[in-house]
Amino acid sequence: MQAPAIALHMSNVETIPGRQIVRSFGLVTGSTVRAKHIGKDIFAGLKNIVGGELKAYTELLNESRNEAIQRMMMAAHNLGANGVVNVRFATSSVAAGASELFCYGTAVVVE
Amino acid sequence: MELYIAFVVASILLPILYPFISWALGRWYQGRLMAALDENEKMHGVVLSNESLLSTSSRNTNFASPSATLLHVSLCVAPSTGQIFFMWVKSLFGGRLVSYDVVLDYGRREALYRLQQQARQQECTSMINIRIETSTLSFARNQDSKTSSIEILAYATGLRS
Repeated sequence: MQAPAIALHMSNVETIPGRQIVRSFGLVTGSTVRAKHIGKDIFAGLKNIVGGELKAYTELLNESRNEAIQRMMMAAHNLGANGVVNVRFATSSVAAGASELFCYGTAVVVE
Repeated sequence: MELYIAFVVASILLPILYPFISWALGRWYQGRLMAALDENEKMHGVVLSNESLLSTSSRNTNFASPSATLLHVSLCVAPSTGQIFFMWVKSLFGGRLVSYDVVLDYGRREALYRLQQQARQQECTSMINIRIETSTLSFARNQDSKTSSIEILAYATGLRS
């Protein structure tokens, strides 16, 4: 079942500009491991003839990153936070044919 | 008989010519992408009303701003097979690998351009703490695959005024 979308305050600086942090809950993380289906893989292989942007992968990355962010926000929401500060992203190739997209931040309560 | 000879000649020549064809097609295609990006940057490059607040600094966060949001853009770029081949040849001698320079430069500029577009869509007037990250992606099924794609991720905090 698709989790309901949660919208929290987020920033990649130490505070949420314009707001006061009143409580901190510590680290929250969200990650997703994705693989491309074989059809798009073949298409991307063909696209390698000319190079440039691989749109199928760009799409996949954006989709997966949004999911990772959603999971991080869910973790923060479950702690009772209404914001995440100092958000950082990381991407790594964990296995042949799969990549992990990871994001982490500090869950806080802001006024 | 003639058809057979043509087939044999083609099957010998194509693998030899493939890197050259790919390199030429890649140059043409990437040249077009670059030209389009140049045009876009000229037309819509300066989208934020307060350019002085477009920064990589995280310090200037204490000014009054009614709301802020996280902006992020990622895109995947790859050099062409021909470029990879010629880079391999060049790497035997060392030195500057121009093809990779071009691909990475394109990726970063495009990512920053899209980040600015996203800021405009979300009605932000400035961006602070801009971060750009690069990583190698492997979605290829086999380990020996020569295709490599590079992920460029740009993210920042957008401020609304």
